[in-house]
Amino acid sequence: MTTIALPTRSHVIADAVTMLNRNLLHVIRYPGLSLFTILGPVVVLLLTVFVFGGTLGAGLPGVDPAGGRDAYLAYVMPGILMITIAGTAAGAAITVAMDMTEGITARFRTMAISRASVLAGHVLGNTIQAIIAVALVLGVGLLIGFRPTASPIDWLAALGVLALISFAVSWIGVAMGMQAKTVETASNLPLILTILPLLGSGFVPTASMPGGLQWFAEYQPFTPFIESVRGLLLGTDLGSSVLFAVGWAVLLTIAGYVWSMVLYERRSVR
Amino acid sequence: MTAIRNSWIITQRDLLHWVRQPALPIFGVVFNIMILLMFAFLFGGAIEVPGADRGSYIAFLLPGMFALTMLFGLESTMAAMSDDAQKGVTDRFRSMPIGASAVVGGRAGADVLYSALSLAVLIVGGLLIGWRVESDLLSALAAVALLLWLRFALLWVGIFLGLFVRGAGATSAVQVLVWPLGFISNVFVAPETMPAWLAPIADWNPISATATAARQLFGNPTGVTQNWFSENSITLAIVGPLVITLIFLPLSAIAYRRLKR
Repeated sequence: MTTIALPTRSHVIADAVTMLNRNLLHVIRYPGLSLFTILGPVVVLLLTVFVFGGTLGAGLPGVDPAGGRDAYLAYVMPGILMITIAGTAAGAAITVAMDMTEGITARFRTMAISRASVLAGHVLGNTIQAIIAVALVLGVGLLIGFRPTASPIDWLAALGVLALISFAVSWIGVAMGMQAKTVETASNLPLILTILPLLGSGFVPTASMPGGLQWFAEYQPFTPFIESVRGLLLGTDLGSSVLFAVGWAVLLTIAGYVWSMVLYERRSVR
Repeated sequence: MTAIRNSWIITQRDLLHWVRQPALPIFGVVFNIMILLMFAFLFGGAIEVPGADRGSYIAFLLPGMFALTMLFGLESTMAAMSDDAQKGVTDRFRSMPIGASAVVGGRAGADVLYSALSLAVLIVGGLLIGWRVESDLLSALAAVALLLWLRFALLWVGIFLGLFVRGAGATSAVQVLVWPLGFISNVFVAPETMPAWLAPIADWNPISATATAARQLFGNPTGVTQNWFSENSITLAIVGPLVITLIFLPLSAIAYRRLKR
């Protein structure tokens, strides 16, 4: 009788690192998708700032209409960063769906590797991609006049919050990729994540929205995400937004992990 | 007479495509309504229209959205034309005893009818969210005619691009053209709120001329302090699409004749 050794914690980590390397190699060899996830938010940033910035900036509370565009650039930047993170999660969904439909995941299941490490590799790879994308989009923002007032500690805190959000949203993206039956569906499902910053405080203050929409905007996860990044980078009132942001991130991570693991067990043999 | 009959047969064929595969036209209409609702309710409360009362954004937005819908129709024209050319349907038409004008004319007929329907749906949607026509019936009909005239002109751009750019890159190629053209205009905001280098581009955009003319004819706020563009918007809304047609109609005919057999 043969006994199968269960993977130890060190094996799980080693397997996850191997899978992470595989995903990062994919990014290097097929840079098109990564490039698109950066270009999309940059185009949105330029359009919103230069086309709508003057009008929307003048409507921000306590802003001199003459400096509306600069004020709006500062206001919209955290929302654009959230769209960037959501865009990279869409990339994760596509790569997971490709692995699922091409039978690679089924092959991984036959190997002596930890189940969680396959998905963890995707998530970690996507989180790294998201942080790089955020840095590049932030760079474009700085080039066109975004001027954060954050101290080095605030910058570190903001980076930590952004990394945590990226990690959480990546798990949801991976789960969506597992859920999708085709790559096309996988590219459409995460659009929900991209729309959420729009339906939050990312582009306009929630106070300017009609009743029902305002209620939704105030209680959805991306609003505390945006408000905490805005508070840390620009010194606006943080309130309890960081607490809510961390809470939502933990909840989304757990939900994404459970959802993707259940689907991995059920659907990776196709 | 035969050419008109042939065109009508091709139009019916193109309309049948949409009846049998309604997902694409339905998505087109739903997408336009989504953009309308997003700007009306999400951004609307934060946008002030120059020279108009606070809360008049819906009145300003709707005619602009109608013009934008005419522009977005270009994508479906191009996709359909490209698809037919790629699948060899266009080659089969060329081998039949029908004129080239019937094939492209049929496509034009189907697309104008679809655009008229999209426009009607959007007008009803606008009326439901509080937009009102503040002018007489004749002016309103003139506004609709100008919008469809813009669509007719953009048709030839779509037909030309559909015959010229083929393959997987076709859709993304047209989006690169459509989205900046749609947003760098006065559809959503007045050009005077844009930077000095961007405002003239928005002013000269043919979409802007039609949007301003439609606003004037519907009796809605134009969001423009008197300038040359607002004073001549109706003329520009007639001449602009005419120039586009005069350029792209012959180009479409040449592209059709030069299709690889």
